[in-house]
Amino acid sequence: MDPEEVEFLGEKHLVSIVPSFTSESVHLIQGDYGPFRAGLPIRVPLWVAVNLKQQKRCRIQPPEWMDVDTLELIKTDEKLSRVFTKMPSEFYMVEVKQLLGCASDDIPRADEIRTIVKDIWDIRMSKLRSSIDLLVKNHEMYAAVDNLTMMEINSMRPLLPHALDHIYRMKTFQPNVGSQSQTMSFSTHSRVSTSFQS
Amino acid sequence: MDEDTDDILNNIIDDDDDANIQMTPAELIQKMEEIWINEKFAPELLPHEQEIVDLVLSQISAMEDNVETLPSADFKKGFYQLEIDRIRFVVTSYLRHRLEKIETYVLHVLKEDEEREEAYLSEAEQQFALKYKEALEEHFDNATMFYPGLPFEDWKSNFVRPNMNSFVFLKAKSNVEGVVVDRGQGDDNEIVDIKAGSQMLISYKGVSDLIKKGDLRLI
Repeated sequence: MDPEEVEFLGEKHLVSIVPSFTSESVHLIQGDYGPFRAGLPIRVPLWVAVNLKQQKRCRIQPPEWMDVDTLELIKTDEKLSRVFTKMPSEFYMVEVKQLLGCASDDIPRADEIRTIVKDIWDIRMSKLRSSIDLLVKNHEMYAAVDNLTMMEINSMRPLLPHALDHIYRMKTFQPNVGSQSQTMSFSTHSRVSTSFQS
Repeated sequence: MDEDTDDILNNIIDDDDDANIQMTPAELIQKMEEIWINEKFAPELLPHEQEIVDLVLSQISAMEDNVETLPSADFKKGFYQLEIDRIRFVVTSYLRHRLEKIETYVLHVLKEDEEREEAYLSEAEQQFALKYKEALEEHFDNATMFYPGLPFEDWKSNFVRPNMNSFVFLKAKSNVEGVVVDRGQGDDNEIVDIKAGSQMLISYKGVSDLIKKGDLRLI
């Protein structure tokens, strides 16, 4: 899965905007948003908000968790905790990237926020790497990955599932008489494809 | 104008006699995305969801007709168009993944479908699979015909099967008990319970039924 597809999924998240125009509601298939009154905040999907902002028709309000103090707290929690803590939003990376990309003037201290979120991401990534190390060393066959966001899970594809697949094959390898070591043939006459999708 | 849109959208869902699925358009799109991601990450072909796809496509075409009647100076028209494009991307990606799987595993898929009572292939996909199989046979026969009597590996009995042991990330929608995890060394099988809302990385083999039933979804 590409990072863009994770972004696509994250763009459905609702975010608060303050429109600078007045109009009646928009009836999208996914729901009705509106009516829009200039100056009154309203919640719309992220892709609508980014689009409106690019047309300079609204101001974006940062989500509650997107300020320096809250993020500092989250970062300390993450550093101290041995497991993954729950992130304020399932798609925090996507929101940060999109909102800071197009609306950095609406969000106070945007650069600091960017740095802190990157720090949080790095901490979680290193935790992920060490726990994967443990997973592989102990030949575990499954793992609980609660509190990991989709972007982080996606960064491990296709490497981690593929590696576990190889470990499993090595565990269950039964050498047949006359079989080639290349084709890892099982006792039935069929060829199993390697992991096919990333 | 917008009341008409609402009416039309509601009518399409209500008048559809074939589908005994009653859901709001928002739920329908949510379900479509879920099916898309499931199909993307599952190593085998999942049962087809042709009713949902048809409903979504009818929603899109209704919305497209509506958008045409709007004055083009209205900037909101862009949003309708954007949303139509987004939904269409999901549907086409879903259908493309299915076609990719059918093409890779064509013999296996056709054989499994004969033995199963509820086919995983929709009618159009079945025709595609049969035609693709015939085209493949013809191609291989022509390619190896240059020397009669040349022994070659009988490709038709040597299927390409999907890898059911590949690992997938999943999220549980409800509590599941008794998922068997094959540890791969002898009969050392572990039984795992999964709580609702938790995420796991696990071998596909043990969870394929639950995914098809809908208790788990892939992420």
